[in-house]
Amino acid sequence: MSVEFSKEKLAEVAEIVKRYPEGRHKSALLPVLHMAQQEFGGWLDVPVMDYVASVLKIEPIEVYEVASFYSMFNLSPVGKYMFEVCQTGPCMINGSDNIIAYIKEKLNIGVGETTADGMFTLKTVECLGACGYAPMMQLGKHYREHLTKEKVDAIIEECRAKAN
Amino acid sequence: MSRKLLLEKAHVENIRLYDVYRREGGYRSVEKAFKMAPADIVEEVKKSGLRGRGGAGFPTGLKWSFIAKPEGVPRHLVVNADESEPGTFKDRYLMEFIPHILIEGMIVSSFALGSNVSYIYIRGEYHWIVDILEQAIAEAKHHGFLGKNILGSGFDCEIYVHRGAGAYICGEETALIESLEGKRGNPRIKPPFPAVKGAWERPTVVNNVETIAAVVPIINDGGEEYAKIGVGKSTGTKLMSACGNLNKPGVYEIDMTISVEEFIFSDEYCGGIPNGRKLKACIPGGSSVPILPANLLLTTAKGEKRLMNYESLSDGGFATGSMMGSGGFIVLDDNQCVVKHTYTLARFYRHESCGQCSPCREGTGWMEKILLNIENGKGKLSDIDLLWDIQRKIEGNTICPLGDAAAWPVAAAIRHFRDEFEWHVKNPVECLTSNYGLAHYADPIHIPVVA
Repeated sequence: MSVEFSKEKLAEVAEIVKRYPEGRHKSALLPVLHMAQQEFGGWLDVPVMDYVASVLKIEPIEVYEVASFYSMFNLSPVGKYMFEVCQTGPCMINGSDNIIAYIKEKLNIGVGETTADGMFTLKTVECLGACGYAPMMQLGKHYREHLTKEKVDAIIEECRAKAN
Repeated sequence: MSRKLLLEKAHVENIRLYDVYRREGGYRSVEKAFKMAPADIVEEVKKSGLRGRGGAGFPTGLKWSFIAKPEGVPRHLVVNADESEPGTFKDRYLMEFIPHILIEGMIVSSFALGSNVSYIYIRGEYHWIVDILEQAIAEAKHHGFLGKNILGSGFDCEIYVHRGAGAYICGEETALIESLEGKRGNPRIKPPFPAVKGAWERPTVVNNVETIAAVVPIINDGGEEYAKIGVGKSTGTKLMSACGNLNKPGVYEIDMTISVEEFIFSDEYCGGIPNGRKLKACIPGGSSVPILPANLLLTTAKGEKRLMNYESLSDGGFATGSMMGSGGFIVLDDNQCVVKHTYTLARFYRHESCGQCSPCREGTGWMEKILLNIENGKGKLSDIDLLWDIQRKIEGNTICPLGDAAAWPVAAAIRHFRDEFEWHVKNPVECLTSNYGLAHYADPIHIPVVA
């Protein structure tokens, strides 16, 4: 995979940079890293981070230190679908431990692991702001809330169907 | 029935769309504000008594009046939509269902502060809400409420959404500014305060989503009218996000005169505890504020009914009270274990510590390990004192309030539930399969009789 944004994406980067004061293009780093992660396989490999640095005309270290700080940036490969299950207080009260255990058993992976077919990654996360609708997980752009074992089954089926 | 100022129209069909929002009276406050001087808007907000809804409760009008106005230097309003305090999901609700009220409040506030470019810093996980907000911004711009020379006032304003990437610390205003500048979310040493040197070294005001939305009714009805709602220094309405063991968890707009008991048990609000269980404990204002046992939650140490407002929730200080905080209301029933719950919060703060200050960086991880040991029946009685000692050494010894936020939940859990911790240590096998239950935590409290 060549690490380069398309013309359209580069135009989008230019638009994002314009949101910030002149000469402060580094401010676009978080949005551009989000774009890069989405474009280049769901995680930020070193060549990807170096490319982002060159696009924003900043030093690679400025990208590495930011990418390693924020929990949403993946620094190693992840599956096509990432189940990010919340385990903080309010979700724990509502049974997130059972949901995590069920996903582990169902997919036969541990927390932080990816299924052999590269389809699913299980990650535990800290409070995502869905406490009233617990237990919950993030799947891509959206939240899946009020999780039950049946709902987890359905979500797994849904992902498999989408992938085929 | 509480009067609603922010969510009254939240369930009107298609209120997310400009046309519906406008038809329902939206954007009136902008028209009114442009007939006022910016300084008069700040005055109205001062008169309203509005206090920051993010957690600290600092008077908003006062915060605004601090903004420096050096000649030729742009100023910025940044809305804090980084909502990450466990138990808190009110801003999400507001942005998701009635996004235009935030945009409307931002236009008025930007005008008052002289911000021609304002930002919404939203937590990265609220990805789908970015689309909702950007649509609302585009609609407002299309109808002349954003852009150049808004409504012929001569005032220009643009609003941009900046998406974070998963870091609780970015809810702290100086960390948020660092993150907006494309850096790690490490809080800055204050002073200088953001009002003097904030984003890109320019004067900056950072306000919570709910705070900025509240500017709309304040300008529409006047600060004095707003101040008539509520009680004492708790004016206006407050969004509460209720969760945990409740029949009806969710977001409620309250007028801060109701009692805690009514909020938990009445059908208008949370509808009581499910499955016939009993109220054991509650964290009334987001995970950072002290947990209280049922008896102290419902009644102050003076024997008065505790109310859902800033003063009453903090009545008794940390010895017997808690805080309104962000309004994240977490309820635990008699089947919940305070040790385990505290452990999950300690793990949260260890995960979210930025690592700049050693008391927080080292202390949060140490507390997490000890709490996990106690939870797993591997603790010693001396661990409880050690935990107390560690949290004391974090509190007040860090650049930003995350250290305090990590220390307080542990301190309060030990202060009020020490015997539950001891039970864990003394019953290392039993604690793995059962818990301490309700114990005496709902018993009537002893009120000293004045001679």
